[in-house]
Amino acid sequence: MSIVTAVRRGDWETLFGYAFFVALLTGGYYYNVTFVQLGLLDLGTRLVGLSETAVSGWMATLALVTLVTAVAFGVTMDRRGWSSSLHAKLRILLGVVVVQVVLTSVAPFVRTAPQFGAWIVLASLSMGVGFPATFALTIDFVAVPDRGAVAAAATALTYFLANVYPLDWHIESFSRVVVAAMVPGVVLLAVLVFRPPPFLERLARQHEQFGVGRFCREGPVSIREAAFLVPLVLMFGVFFVDSLGFLRILDTPSLVLASWQSPEFSMHLLLAVVHVVGAVMAGVLYTTFDRRVLFLATFGLFSFTHLLYTFDIRIAMWFPALATGPSSPLNPAFYALAVSFYTTLNFALWPDLSTPETIGTHSAVGIGLAGFLSTFLSTALALYFQSTSVTLLDHLNLVNALALLLFVGLAVGIYVRRMHSLWTEGHRGEPN
Amino acid sequence: MANPIELIPLLVVVLLLVGVQGGTVESMEIITDGTHSVGEIPDVYVVGGGTVTIPANTTVSGDVYVIGGTADVQGTIDGDVTQLSGNLTFASSAVVAGDVQYIAGALDIADGATLESFTTAETLAAQSSSPASSLAFKVAQTLGLALAAALLVRRFEFAFATVGRAVTAHPVVSGVVGLLVATTTLALVVFMAMTIILIPVSVLGVGVGGLTVAYGYLVYGYLVGRRVPVDRPDVSTAVGVVLFAVVLELLGTLPLVGSAVQLGLLVVSLGAILVTYFGLREFEPVSLLT
Repeated sequence: MSIVTAVRRGDWETLFGYAFFVALLTGGYYYNVTFVQLGLLDLGTRLVGLSETAVSGWMATLALVTLVTAVAFGVTMDRRGWSSSLHAKLRILLGVVVVQVVLTSVAPFVRTAPQFGAWIVLASLSMGVGFPATFALTIDFVAVPDRGAVAAAATALTYFLANVYPLDWHIESFSRVVVAAMVPGVVLLAVLVFRPPPFLERLARQHEQFGVGRFCREGPVSIREAAFLVPLVLMFGVFFVDSLGFLRILDTPSLVLASWQSPEFSMHLLLAVVHVVGAVMAGVLYTTFDRRVLFLATFGLFSFTHLLYTFDIRIAMWFPALATGPSSPLNPAFYALAVSFYTTLNFALWPDLSTPETIGTHSAVGIGLAGFLSTFLSTALALYFQSTSVTLLDHLNLVNALALLLFVGLAVGIYVRRMHSLWTEGHRGEPN
Repeated sequence: MANPIELIPLLVVVLLLVGVQGGTVESMEIITDGTHSVGEIPDVYVVGGGTVTIPANTTVSGDVYVIGGTADVQGTIDGDVTQLSGNLTFASSAVVAGDVQYIAGALDIADGATLESFTTAETLAAQSSSPASSLAFKVAQTLGLALAAALLVRRFEFAFATVGRAVTAHPVVSGVVGLLVATTTLALVVFMAMTIILIPVSVLGVGVGGLTVAYGYLVYGYLVGRRVPVDRPDVSTAVGVVLFAVVLELLGTLPLVGSAVQLGLLVVSLGAILVTYFGLREFEPVSLLT
C-alpha cells in the first residue's frame, strides 16, 4: 500500500510507519551531520586541546571503525534473519539510541586525548550497528513507489533543521539539541519494544509486500554484480568529491563565514530552503527516472559548484579589487543543492538494491564503503594536502576535476552501454 | 572601491555586448580602483571603479565602457563609449568619433563637447513606449508567433502533441527538470561569458535558450488551440497562441502571483521539451510497481 492509498483509506497505522521512519532517518542523519561531523572537531580542538590534524586523524578512525562494524553487523543481521524482523531491529535501535544518548550527554565533559579516543571508538561502534538497522527498516515501513518521496522528506528535514539550528557550532549546543531530540525517540522505541501496540504485528509483515527493492524486480542483485558495484563506485565518488571539497571550504574562513557560519540568519535560511527545494527535486527525479539521471545531475551539480568556487578564486587573483566585497551566495546555494540531491539518492538507493534477505549487508556495504571509506580517504588526502601546503585553488581545482571526470565518465558510460545494446540487437537480427 | 556583486553582472553585460558587436578584441583592461590618467587604451577599456581621466589633447583608440567609478573625458576617443552605471563626464574639449550610448548612471555633457552619435535608453524607450506603439508591437509579435506556430504545426504536429502531453500529464516532473536546467544553464551561460573566450558559446546558449522558450510558448498555444472549436490544427494552434498571449498579458497584471504562474509555465514547458527530446520521443516515467 502506497502512502497516497494509505491517506485515502485513513490507514493511520501505515502512515505511522512512514512518519516513524522519516523521524528516525532524520534524527540519525542530523546526529551525523551536526554532532559527529562538526561537533567533534570543536570538542577535539577547543575542549581537549588537540590540533586540527590530530582531530582529523581521529575522524578518519571513526569512519574506518564505523565501516568495519557496519559491514560485520549488516552481514550478521542478514545471516541471523534480523533484517526481516521488525522487532529485532527495533530492539537493536533502542540499544543504539540509549548508548548514543549517554555518549552525547557526556561528550562536553571529555577533556583528555584518551577519553576522546575512547569516545570516538564507542560512537563508531554504535553508528556501525545503528545505520544498517535503520536502513533495514525501509522494508517494513516504506513501499517501493514512495522511497524517493520518503528519502526526500528525510533529507529536506535534516538539512533544514541542521542549517537553522543550532547556529553556533559548539559541542555544548549540539549536545543539548541532540539529547533533547533523542529522549522522545528513546521513549517511543521503548514503548514499541516493551509494550508493542497490536498494529505493530501488521507493520512487521509489510516487508513481504514492500521488501523487494525497485532494482531487484528482475531477481535479487548480488553484491558482486555490476548492478550493485557501479552505483557503489559512483556513490563513493560523490561522497569523496563532497568530503574533499567541503573539508577545505570549512578550513577557509572567507568561504565558510560567508555561508554555513555566516552571522546572518537569512543566509542560513536561504541554505535551508535550497536544501528543501533540492531534496524535493531529487525525490521527483528519483521516482520518475532511472538512477543514472540522478547520478548525472549530482555530478553535474558538484562540477558546476566547484567551477563557481574556482572561478571566484581566479577572479580574485586576477582582479584583487573585486574580491573585497561579500562573496556570492550562489556558490553555497549550488553546493546545498548538490548535497540534497545525493543524500536523497543515498537514502533510497541501497534499500532499492536489496531484498529482505540482503538489506543488512547491502546497506552496510553501500553506505560503509561509499560514505565512510570515502570520508576516511578524503580526510587522509586533505591532511596530506595540508601538510604539503596545497593552495585553495589547487585543492578545489582537483575536486572540480574529479567531479567533471565522474560526470563525463558516467555520460560516456551510459552512451557506450546504449551503443552496445543497439549493436547487440542489430547483430541478433542479422542472418549468419 | 568597486562592489563585485554589482560589478560582475555589469561586466558580464559588457562582455556580451562585446561579443554581440563582433570585431576582433585582442586586448581588454578593467579598472576597478585608483586614479588613472590615460594616454592609451586597449581595444576594450572598462571603467568599473576608481577615477579615469582621458586628458585634453590626448587621442585614444578603443571602446570605452563605464560600469562604475568615474570617467572624465577631456580628450578624443576614437571608438564607442557605453555607460551602464557610474559617472561619465564629457568636458567641452571632449570628442568621440564613435557612438555614445547612455543606458544608466550619472552623465554630464558640457557645452562644446563633440559627440558624433548619441543615444540614450530613455529616448529609445520613449520612441517605442507609447501605448499605441507598444500595443502594435505586441500584436505584431503575437501574430508573428501565431503564424510560426501554424506553419510548424502543419509539419511537426507530432512534436507539439508529444511535448503537450508531457506538460499536461507530467507537470511536476517537467517543472523540476525545467527548473534544474534553467537555473544551472543560466548560471553557466553567465560564467562562460566571463571567460571571454567562451562569449560566442554563451551568446549561442542564450539564442538556443530563447528559441526553446519560444517553442514552449507555441506548445501552450497548441494546447489552448485544441480546446478551440476549429478542425484544422494549424489554424486552431494559431488561435491558441493568440489566446495564450492574452492570458499571459492578463497574468502579468497580477502582482507576484501572476509572475509566479508565468515562471511556472515557463519551467514546465522547458522541462517538457527536454524530457521529450524536443517532442521526438514520448516521455514515460519509469515504472515503480512490482
